[in-house]
Amino acid sequence: MSTLETQGFKLDNSGRRVVVDPVTRIEGHLRVEVNLDDNNVIRNAVSTGTMWRGLEVILKGRDPRDAWAFTERICGVCTGTHALTSVRAVENALGIDIPENANSIRNLMQLTLYAHDHLVHFYHLHALDWVDVVSALNADPKATSELAQSISSWPLSSPGYFRDIQNRIKAFVESGQLGPFMNGYWGNPAYRLPPEANLLAVTHYLEALDFQKDIVKIHTIFGGKNPHPNWLVGGMPCAINIHGAGAVGAINMERLNLVAGIIDRTIEFIDQVYLPDLVAIAGFYKDWTYGGGLSSQSLLSYGDIPERANDYSASSLLLPRGAIINGDLTTVHEIDLADSGQVQEFVSHSWYKYADESKGLHPWDGETTPHYDPGTNIRGTRTRVESFDESAKYSWVKAPRWRGHAMEVGPLARYVIGYAQGKPEFKEPVDELLTNLGLPLEAIFSTLGRTAARGLEASWAAHKMRHFFDKLITTIKSGDETVANVDKWDPSTWAPETKGVGFTEAPRGALGHWIKIKNGKIDNYQAVVPTTWNGSPRDARGQIGAFEASLLDTPVAKADEPLEILRTLHSFDPCLACATHVMSPDGQEMATVKVR
Amino acid sequence: MIETFYDVLRRQGITRRSFLKFCSLTATSLGLGAAAAPQIAHALETRPRTPVLWLHGLECTCCSESFIRSAHPLTKDVVLSMLSLDYDDTLMAAAGHQAEAALDEIRTRYKGNYILAVEGNPPLNEDGMFAIQGGRPFLEKLRETAADCKAIISWGSCASWGCVQAAYPNPTRATPVHKVITDKPIIKVPGCPPIAEVMTAVVTYMLTFDRIPELDRQGRPKMFYGQRIHDKCYRRAHFDAGQFAEEFDDDGAKKGYCLYKLGCKGPTSYNACSTVRWNGGVSFPIQSGHGCIGCSEDGFWDKGGFYERVTDIKQFGIESTADKVGGYAAAAVGVGIAAHAAATALARARNKTGIDAKIGKDHHEHA
Amino acid sequence: MTTTLAEQDDFEAKRHSRLLKAIYVYEAPLRLWHWINALAVTVLAVTGYLIGTPLPGIGGEASAHYMMGWLRVLHFSFAWIFAFGFVGRIYWAFVGNRHARQIFLLPITSAKWWGEVWHEMKWYLFITREPYKYVGHNPMAQLMMFLFFTIGAVYMICTGCALYGEALGIDSWAYQSFSWVFTAVGGNSLQVHNWHRMGLWVTIIFVMLHVYAAFREDIMSRQSLISTMVSGWRMFKD
Repeated sequence: MSTLETQGFKLDNSGRRVVVDPVTRIEGHLRVEVNLDDNNVIRNAVSTGTMWRGLEVILKGRDPRDAWAFTERICGVCTGTHALTSVRAVENALGIDIPENANSIRNLMQLTLYAHDHLVHFYHLHALDWVDVVSALNADPKATSELAQSISSWPLSSPGYFRDIQNRIKAFVESGQLGPFMNGYWGNPAYRLPPEANLLAVTHYLEALDFQKDIVKIHTIFGGKNPHPNWLVGGMPCAINIHGAGAVGAINMERLNLVAGIIDRTIEFIDQVYLPDLVAIAGFYKDWTYGGGLSSQSLLSYGDIPERANDYSASSLLLPRGAIINGDLTTVHEIDLADSGQVQEFVSHSWYKYADESKGLHPWDGETTPHYDPGTNIRGTRTRVESFDESAKYSWVKAPRWRGHAMEVGPLARYVIGYAQGKPEFKEPVDELLTNLGLPLEAIFSTLGRTAARGLEASWAAHKMRHFFDKLITTIKSGDETVANVDKWDPSTWAPETKGVGFTEAPRGALGHWIKIKNGKIDNYQAVVPTTWNGSPRDARGQIGAFEASLLDTPVAKADEPLEILRTLHSFDPCLACATHVMSPDGQEMATVKVR
Repeated sequence: MIETFYDVLRRQGITRRSFLKFCSLTATSLGLGAAAAPQIAHALETRPRTPVLWLHGLECTCCSESFIRSAHPLTKDVVLSMLSLDYDDTLMAAAGHQAEAALDEIRTRYKGNYILAVEGNPPLNEDGMFAIQGGRPFLEKLRETAADCKAIISWGSCASWGCVQAAYPNPTRATPVHKVITDKPIIKVPGCPPIAEVMTAVVTYMLTFDRIPELDRQGRPKMFYGQRIHDKCYRRAHFDAGQFAEEFDDDGAKKGYCLYKLGCKGPTSYNACSTVRWNGGVSFPIQSGHGCIGCSEDGFWDKGGFYERVTDIKQFGIESTADKVGGYAAAAVGVGIAAHAAATALARARNKTGIDAKIGKDHHEHA
Repeated sequence: MTTTLAEQDDFEAKRHSRLLKAIYVYEAPLRLWHWINALAVTVLAVTGYLIGTPLPGIGGEASAHYMMGWLRVLHFSFAWIFAFGFVGRIYWAFVGNRHARQIFLLPITSAKWWGEVWHEMKWYLFITREPYKYVGHNPMAQLMMFLFFTIGAVYMICTGCALYGEALGIDSWAYQSFSWVFTAVGGNSLQVHNWHRMGLWVTIIFVMLHVYAAFREDIMSRQSLISTMVSGWRMFKD
């Protein structure tokens, strides 16, 4: 029973402890424990990353040119972004410049990931936090059709169309086997959509499921497959041959046409389905303003999508770069990933060992020595934990800090930083959305703000895909078909000892890889991933991470149905995998909701 | 043959009257109204869709991501019409049971009749606490769920072989499913991830023909893993001709020549990439210019560089290829022979008289 | 058999050398096998090396060339010759003279034989001035032949057949009979490629030592070697 004040939040763990493990629709790798007061308001939150695979340890001693494939397997959902970060880190270490075409193709692939990941997140991971599937069965298809046509020109909107979908769902439900939709919180008072909006969303849930598989074909064209396309240190592996004999074995006009077609359809789907749905749903939840957490205080974005190849400065990066601390939106701080005083990882509440755990380590000097030790004050036993003790070590996630601050990363961070920098591309859509909904700027520091920023960003990304496609064509037109620089392919050309850092903005936030290379092999490799930032446990000073902060002070409608908790956690799109895209969109697949 | 829910209830001594009451309760709690009760009853009395329980251990979720990419059949149709992707029993929502209790119950109700799909694998170090689910090791949950299943599908290279987290030095002792569950038929569908259409094809094969596909010596369905990528590669003609890309983005690469010299593992990888291809048949790694990295093969992470053809053999203690070890050894032997020959010549010259004397002596003896 | 080969040889050599100064050692089929085998090993080594690390690529249309195809055809053809030759050689060990059995049977329990291996070793290390005389292989050569050639041939045939089975398909006789090789290295056939290639280097080293030793002994020892494998007759110089 103790209270604690940190970062302006008041924590009190005296109430009832509710355990959500695993948190679903992010698969079984995250656990959250909260304390509810007598009014069912969350007064304490403890987020536990419940898996560790040891990629950093495994990478030691390997060929840096192979590292992208290993790191890509950190996550199959944000597939490719780790690989891109990795090849950038290696190129940074070895001083390799990539061709302009490789930059365009990489950006195209990264933006493809954005469009895909955000879309799938919204419909298949997140929507059911707002949408009641069972209520959709009671909808009038005609009303749904009217609603659909009032918000979008998307052609699939006739009453008959919605009736067919509704009948299919009905038949499914009547089969007695609800499969993925079973055991959800249907009927929970926190659901606010009218039946016709629910039917619309469920319909688009299925449409998006069909369509998402087409977006990633851009990865398949340039990288050979998806998930886990192929990359290359020094450029891209997909040779371009537009004019000559043998063009069928390379990126040719037919391939480019396929890419162009996918881009068009992606823009269409996002602008005509995703965004209108987002606005419509948000309209019913305007006054559900919870979940802001750190978003109004500490935000971090490394920036990404370099306009010019090999220029990773803020001026070249289309996604904003910078840090906001102490809630001061007037100052966006410069960031330097090579500065050992900026990004540091702490393990005082994580299951790792450092020599001195009061200090953080910069990733170049990072250590990853796992040691599972939940302490002696847990409830239950070491291998049968009922509740963790947040005053001891309680997570497999390390606690990264920027200049000592816990930071939130992700689409909202990028949009707020872009907004603070006055970039019209980010400011205008935010202002427009807020005006449409009749909300003040402060409203974006919320669960819904995160979800909205992601939607806006999906649209931004889709349109930027066209930009880089055009750029690719322009460069090819100018006679440059190069995609790879292999001058330093041979390890004998490398310095005996060197280090580098690579970064991207993964769909879920700032991602950095730090590498040290010695005698042609990896000497040390550390990845600080978005969910390490957002899902961070407490640090030595007791500062809480973004997940924990966002859950505080949220009222829960039904104590045994963690709908609000899932809603806010999902708004981060945690990268703890997303097995439940299909398996459990009801949010209950493996949930053990224990209430004490 | 799977028992219907109704069959099970009857076997357990529940009357039809109670059953119908149960159905109407279910219908009400689902918000369907009493009118839906007979339909639910009908469904429960007839053939249910096969329940599939899909567990996740240490993995990256690329298998699930791949699964939802299936173009034929569409994932939507698989989930809505072909099987029942239940984690727990359909009707438990109405009863409001906890999910863990639901798992126990589905194991009883569909005992021996549900398919367990496993993505990822259990780690054995730290008492299994490198993968914690519900506050306890994933391994326990895997064992419990496997106990009453009909068959196990090991999705991807994690469940099949161990994959990246099991790469040297395998810090968590990530262990493939077949090494911890030894009493169930296991169908391995390896790949990092497997091809979407291969995943759905394996499932639909099992549902359509009601049998486990014929497996190869390593437990993979022969229909998709019976041939090497090399055997059906559209660049095979270039291999046979001796036409290779020598380095990335060179003339050979632009002409779509064979990627063998860039380390392509197609000749040792059993998968359907070169035939089924990826993402609705759009391409596959080799078609997009990068050699196969052999992601469906056991231990592919530890078989040397992805860009080497003659790769490291770990067993030498140090990482070295046969060509390096052999080349150095042959050179050393060559030098040794030359030195030995020189020494021989020297000794022979020095002992010329001695040898003559010896021969003379022998002659003398013989005489 | 209580007397060692060396004793027998010694006895025979002494008896014969007084009368003839030459003994018929290697019968015709064995000699024929040796030289065919030498050719096969050479072709296998060269083609094998090039299959693993091909020559710089050829331009033009794929249909106009069959470089790797021919290399593989040659490799497989001579592999058959090598393999059947080896089977024939085993047959000859049963029906041929006692020298034909030498490379298959090592008298490893005989201390005297090991002593002679040691003696031969000293001869190569210039410690001993003079080698013993042998009609067949000297014990050192016998040991080397067994380790490098006999074991080596079995190893290369097994790994080679496994890889050949891959090309023929998993339902082929070769795959069915030899896929245990893949299992033995952990399931990934890439490792078998690598180990088979290691065998290539062992073969190269063996050939180097074998040829050197034959020439050296021909010059330095007290009996003929190279001409023996041509004519079959062991000539004694003293």
